[in-house]
Amino acid sequence: MSDQTHSGRGGAKGVLRSSQDFAAGLFLIFIALFALYLGWKLPMGTLRSMGPGMLPISLAFMVGAGGAALVAMSLTTDGEKLTRWSVRGLFFIVASILVFAYTVQTMGLIVAGPASMLVAMMASEDIKWVEGIIFCVLMTVLCSLMFKTLLGLPIPINNLW
Amino acid sequence: MSDLLANLYLGFGVALSLKNLGLCFVGCMVGTLIGVLPGVGPIATIAMLLPITFGIDPTGALIMLAGIYYGAQYGGSTTSILVNIPGEATSVVTCLDGHQMARQGRAGVALGIAAIGSFFAGCVSTIFIAAIGVPLSKVAQLFGPAEYFSLMVMGLVFATVLARGSVLKAICMILLGLLFATVGTDLVTGQERLTLGIQDLSDGIDFAPMAMGMFGFAEIIKNLENVETRDVVQQKIGRLMPNLEEYKQSAWPIIRGTVVGGILGILPGNGAVLGPFASYTLEKKLAKDPSRFGKGAIEGVAGPESANNAGAQTAFIPLLTLGIPPNAVMALMVGAMTIHGIVPGPQVMTKNPELFWGMVASMWVGNAMLVIINLPLIGMWVSLLKVPYRLMFPAIGIFCCIGIYSINNSVNDVVSTAAFSIFGYALVKFGFEPAPMLLGFVLGKLMEEKLRQAMILSRGSFMTFVERPLSAALLAVALIMLIVAVLPSIRAKRDVVFVED
Repeated sequence: MSDQTHSGRGGAKGVLRSSQDFAAGLFLIFIALFALYLGWKLPMGTLRSMGPGMLPISLAFMVGAGGAALVAMSLTTDGEKLTRWSVRGLFFIVASILVFAYTVQTMGLIVAGPASMLVAMMASEDIKWVEGIIFCVLMTVLCSLMFKTLLGLPIPINNLW
Repeated sequence: MSDLLANLYLGFGVALSLKNLGLCFVGCMVGTLIGVLPGVGPIATIAMLLPITFGIDPTGALIMLAGIYYGAQYGGSTTSILVNIPGEATSVVTCLDGHQMARQGRAGVALGIAAIGSFFAGCVSTIFIAAIGVPLSKVAQLFGPAEYFSLMVMGLVFATVLARGSVLKAICMILLGLLFATVGTDLVTGQERLTLGIQDLSDGIDFAPMAMGMFGFAEIIKNLENVETRDVVQQKIGRLMPNLEEYKQSAWPIIRGTVVGGILGILPGNGAVLGPFASYTLEKKLAKDPSRFGKGAIEGVAGPESANNAGAQTAFIPLLTLGIPPNAVMALMVGAMTIHGIVPGPQVMTKNPELFWGMVASMWVGNAMLVIINLPLIGMWVSLLKVPYRLMFPAIGIFCCIGIYSINNSVNDVVSTAAFSIFGYALVKFGFEPAPMLLGFVLGKLMEEKLRQAMILSRGSFMTFVERPLSAALLAVALIMLIVAVLPSIRAKRDVVFVED
């Protein structure tokens, strides 16, 4: 991570003077193109009576223009560098949300809670299994009591038996 | 004047009923509990706790939500003072001197003055809202579609100016938010737009999963990148009540903070964010010895905290009188009102006076409650903050999941939260601020509606926006703000304000 930290102002080599702005611009252009691809068939209407396509299409153009401006700026102005993505954190956190989503209705919080929390814990390098498992069980009990019993949310607790 | 008193009397009658007092108490309590968790700001807290208000009558539900909101605000300040981790932009300033005070063994006094300052600010802004509510909702009746549209443009421009970092990037975020808002069924023709053929998207993108993904989970992923360096104060908390000397030092900062924060809070476009910064800068300028700031000056806590709370409350004004949510928190309030069948706007005051005045009165009650319940509970918050992050983030995650699932009992909402977490993390990596995008998204539907109405009325001429004096004035203010923000000399100052943390 040493040379990739975010304090990368100045002293850039090559054409790109801000890899973060460059990537950000491309990201916006991609979104704009995608929106245009989805929406190009929508009728524009006239200014007097705007059709459903007027705003999505014009906004997509504006977002694309913003992206292009960012790309242009990244070639002329020094700025931040793109920092490394934390793939591990991203993967396990997103996975934990999905685990929750796909178990909560069928099996209930009794499975969704511990399973999702254990997956989430793997996102951190600082993981202690025994402590983690005890914590997950306690938290699941606590959540059931707090959200179901006390606050009366209609969340399924146990659909297993 | 007698009207005002009669209205407040009605409001307090509602707010002081045993049931509503209880709801306000529970709201403040859970709000603080969640708000204290590092990295969980008011937006994530409210999105998470929204479902617990569903089973309650509308008035009770809004009173409880308001309680959650103040609780979350206050919880954020507590974390700033004790751990030096701001839960959201507005508590960044509190970290500066508050955490220093804590390190000097004066955490109790810092928390105490924050609570007292907030309470004072809360009292003043409650009266302010009550007094200004009726006249402003009369002004709202002068607003046609063109004025509404221009007002929202002004709000978005403010949001750009107030965002940190590059103005260009903030503008891009607002446009992206507006683009996202067009997803779903067209208001006029009923045609599906940009829905990818997904059934759930025909009602548009849901706000809560989006806010939760971008503010709850993306924040967790971001925090996991850095090895944790949380330094919970080891020093003793000390006495809570400030002494006479400290009261004297804080009195004027609290009053000035309340005025500054309260006025900025009314501005559409999340002016409340600016309050604490403005107050801190002001106190530092006025101080006899500015070098004390950043080293535990009590004025640096008292002023910004009062400004923060005043702004948090006056932010309700655009929502309640014009029906325009000025920030993401208020947008969640709109969601909650809609679920209970209330359309926010000037008509709330006349159609549901109990709800309107009850809510205004409950703002005062909520603030009083925070002082009473929080100060004795500080020990509990301290021990909660000592829980290591490796255990804290899975717990935050599960709260978020349960909250999002419970809003509609929908698995798809949870899945789209996952998608928005990835999206939100990408935005962080590309150096974008998510807040302006959320505001653009929140205002998008209403702006499109008003724009289309205005263009029909003007027979397709954009001149209507500058020909109508009120609309022209609003746009002129927006233009001036934008120019000011881009001017190099002022830009430099703006950067200084935001870099001060």
